[in-house]
Amino acid sequence: MKNTILALVIVAFASCTNSSSTSEDHTDHADSTTDVQTETAEAPKTGYAIGDEATDFNLPSTTGETISLANYPDAKGFIVIFTCNHCPYAVAYEQRIIDLDAKYAALGYPVIAISPNDTTVVPEDGLASMQTRAEEKGYSFPYVLDEAQDIYPQYGATKTPHIFILNKEDGKNIVKYIGAIDNNYEDATDVTERYVEDAVDALIAGTEIPVTETKAIGCSIKDKREKK
Amino acid sequence: MSNLQKTTLQLTLIVFTLFLNSCTQEHKSRLEAVNYDQLFNNIKADDGKLYVVNFWATWCRPCMEELPDFLEVNEAYTVNDQYQMILVSLDKSSALQTEVKSVVQTMQIKPDVLLLDDAKRMNEWIPAINNQWSGSIPATALYKNGKQLEFHEGKLTKPELEKLIKKHI
Repeated sequence: MKNTILALVIVAFASCTNSSSTSEDHTDHADSTTDVQTETAEAPKTGYAIGDEATDFNLPSTTGETISLANYPDAKGFIVIFTCNHCPYAVAYEQRIIDLDAKYAALGYPVIAISPNDTTVVPEDGLASMQTRAEEKGYSFPYVLDEAQDIYPQYGATKTPHIFILNKEDGKNIVKYIGAIDNNYEDATDVTERYVEDAVDALIAGTEIPVTETKAIGCSIKDKREKK
Repeated sequence: MSNLQKTTLQLTLIVFTLFLNSCTQEHKSRLEAVNYDQLFNNIKADDGKLYVVNFWATWCRPCMEELPDFLEVNEAYTVNDQYQMILVSLDKSSALQTEVKSVVQTMQIKPDVLLLDDAKRMNEWIPAINNQWSGSIPATALYKNGKQLEFHEGKLTKPELEKLIKKHI
């Protein structure tokens, strides 16, 4: 009797140990990231790299104007932000985008916000809703719609929010930073890396930009040419 | 049987029941928050299994559109012990027991759901998962023995997902 019970306990214990051993046995994989890409087939990357010249555009804004980078002859550069109404990540950054324009427009680097989504798929990202949001939030910067969806692919924006900092050099708008605003979308009070501010500060100071590219999760841009 | 023997038997049975319970729980689908080191331990196990890892969020429209197809494909492969699907939620950590749990229940999600609660290190773990990943979701990766075999940014159709799994299982 005793032996039977003992055997049962051992069997139960052994099966538990086996099923939980996987994660314990392979903690060394936590930082072994170099093999991740080795067997991955990738599509060629499109869009701008750091140092490329960014295209200008003529896009309709929430105030009824047509906005172009050429409208800002006195600007030293631009903080171009692909953002939208509906995406929770973009919404989480709304106030921080307002703060960026408040701080940097006067220093020569205004914010230009471009909404890139197909508005037939995402009606709340349409110009009328954009106008409501801009008024509610008191946007001090242009909020424009890439209605033909031909600007965001040239930049290589894939999600919202997605930031491109441009610097005017010899009359050209040169891409200096691509990525996220900072390192904490969830909690603005717990941000420890301010990528966009650091980049624009460096441009103003004439020093090297500490981090030129960052990655962050965002809402994929919905394109009308996309497979349904 | 002496009193001592009875007590020993009772204790042994209790211990046995506890072990069985813990085993049963391990086979139930998980819903928990992890950091990215813990996530990597799960998806990069060197155990011969094919891990189908989908990065999604409850607020992400295309993610929710492809999720039913993923669940159907999972049903077909779930009997294969060399296969496991893991759904990595990129919802806010505060949504784990609300929005995420609610979707898990209403859609009767059977694969493990791990909420990646590591927002401040996105700039480390996104390139670590795939250097070409811009960070838009949905995205899907296949791993076996610690190696990434496939990575796809954007929606996958059911036939596309099935094709990827068949190629590597």
